[in-house]
Amino acid sequence: MIGLKIVDMFKLAAKALLDRKMRSVLTILGITVGSAIILALIASSSGLNASITSNIEKTGANVLTVRNAGGFFASGSTSSYRLSQQDVDYIKTIAGVIGAYPYYSYGASVNSGGTSLQASIVGVDLSALPILYKGLTISQGSMPLLGDTTAAAVGWNIANPTSGTPISLHQMVSMSISGITGSRTGTGVTYAVLVNAVLSQYGSALFSNIDDTVFITLQAAQLLAKSAYFTGIYVVVDNTDDVTNVQSAIQTYYGDQVRIISPGQILSSIQSITAQLTLFLGSIGAVSLFVATVGIVNTMYVSVMERTREIGILKAIGYRPKEIMGMFLAEAAVTGAVGAVCGLILGYVLSFLMGGMFVGGNGGGRGGFGGGGVFIGGGAGTTIQPVFSGELILFSLVFPVILATLAGFYPAWRASKMNAVLALKYE
Amino acid sequence: MQKQGLAVQTIDVTKVYRVGHVDYPALRGVSVKIGKGELVSIMGPSGSGKSTLLNLIGALDPPTSGRIIIDGIDLRKLNQDQLALLRNRKLGFVYQSFNLIQRLTSLENVEMPLISRGLPEKVRRDRSLKTLSAVGLQSHARKRPAELSGGEQQRVAIARALVTGPSIIIADEPTGNLDSKTTREVVDQFVQVNKKLGTTVLIVTHNAEIANRTQHIISIMDGLVEKEQYLQRLDSYSTA
Repeated sequence: MIGLKIVDMFKLAAKALLDRKMRSVLTILGITVGSAIILALIASSSGLNASITSNIEKTGANVLTVRNAGGFFASGSTSSYRLSQQDVDYIKTIAGVIGAYPYYSYGASVNSGGTSLQASIVGVDLSALPILYKGLTISQGSMPLLGDTTAAAVGWNIANPTSGTPISLHQMVSMSISGITGSRTGTGVTYAVLVNAVLSQYGSALFSNIDDTVFITLQAAQLLAKSAYFTGIYVVVDNTDDVTNVQSAIQTYYGDQVRIISPGQILSSIQSITAQLTLFLGSIGAVSLFVATVGIVNTMYVSVMERTREIGILKAIGYRPKEIMGMFLAEAAVTGAVGAVCGLILGYVLSFLMGGMFVGGNGGGRGGFGGGGVFIGGGAGTTIQPVFSGELILFSLVFPVILATLAGFYPAWRASKMNAVLALKYE
Repeated sequence: MQKQGLAVQTIDVTKVYRVGHVDYPALRGVSVKIGKGELVSIMGPSGSGKSTLLNLIGALDPPTSGRIIIDGIDLRKLNQDQLALLRNRKLGFVYQSFNLIQRLTSLENVEMPLISRGLPEKVRRDRSLKTLSAVGLQSHARKRPAELSGGEQQRVAIARALVTGPSIIIADEPTGNLDSKTTREVVDQFVQVNKKLGTTVLIVTHNAEIANRTQHIISIMDGLVEKEQYLQRLDSYSTA
């Protein structure tokens, strides 16, 4: 073959870069940081998205939650409508509804094994738990029977506190209830139950971390609340296609007196938020990568000027303009490639640090929301696992190389167009 | 050693440099013929246009008018790539300031013209080492220009010019930066190349002593050929 071989072109480029180690390292550093930031932000926000999605999906997409209009979703609402057995009976008559389970929920601090834990108390038909939370099983004991006001099924974290002794079956657990939503009961109520069942480790669902929840019977909760009005009603729809119809039927009937929470809707709105978050964070990374690209243009340009004489020599000994251009483009591409690989490594590390940051803001995942809360971080102590898709890895390897090569284009073109005679005279 | 035909022919070549709106004629109609295998010196004071002529013959710069024919090839008919190819295949350059790439070793410098030919690394290395040996620098192959004396650097540059087996060597004041002893050595090198390989050698020089060792002296003055002199009888070479 006549002409400069590609492999030789890259060898010459690598040699030239090694000759200016400090400058090459600094240029590469710019690319590394830019591409690491993009990678880390996208990976951790997709991880966040995946984590939220999996939490929400645990609460089946066919389960709607109907709540009184006042509360988390509608602060400022003046509606004083309260859900009662009448509403349960009505909702059951709607076409497509196969079950309606009223529930009470409170926030409480639970004394477990000498440790005080923040927990949710949920009073509901306990036989419905496997329907409401897919895959939820009992680790020890059995579910309290209907109407048992002294027994409870406790979540894994309640039974196994991080410090203190684990709770065994039939042990007494006392709960200090700080606020009861949907009842007239004030604060400071203390209630004790016997542990009848310990639930297996489950993690976060839509409104609660099951592992941090004490489930009691509806009757016990009613007694505790001293009220016939529920916190809300879980509505189970026969299949996910009917969810929208059922939701609009309920909304039509009640107007703005109730709020209906649909996991599918929450999922899509959260997904759109995280998509925007990804885009926003990604564009911050893009700006830094752009700055790095300008850095390459600058470095390459300076390098071409400094090597004017070398370019003259190359011309004199018979390098073709496109070969000279190729040599400089190869330098830019190598800069981009090394930056991309370093960026991939740095971004990988960074994304795990960011995963920790996201969960740090979650503060253990217990919110208001009527004794529940949308847990974005899984339970306390878990971190967001960044998600590295094949596309993301490919992108973060290829994009900086393309960008760097484009950045090298003008300087390389200048080099190839230099007048040999003037270049050789250049001091 | 003389061969048939012309290595270089310039026909009424002019070169005008334009600075701002003012034209500076560097060459004003130069016609010279250089036979294949000649050892030629081009003399003239600074600014006479001798280096300009050398750059035009070296296909580094196009003339403003006139024709330049190298080994029977009219340079007007070549594009940039073909000119580069011609420089790589037929020409070898040696400069006053050596023009070696400082960050490369002697061997790598000599190898550079062969890299652009796409030759395998082993072939390049072998040929470059052989050429370095021919100029007596095999032991300096791994040294960079900064570690070499001026004379040694110039010999590396000569090796780089020779490694491609060019038919014409173009040397622009190759001894301008060297002392008299080294000058003699470098000139010896050119004479040897000319005799042994039959390579046409063009040397631009101020030095009459050097010019006197060549066969054909072209004196340039104010952009014109002032005088041509043949110091030896050239039986096999026709000036017609």
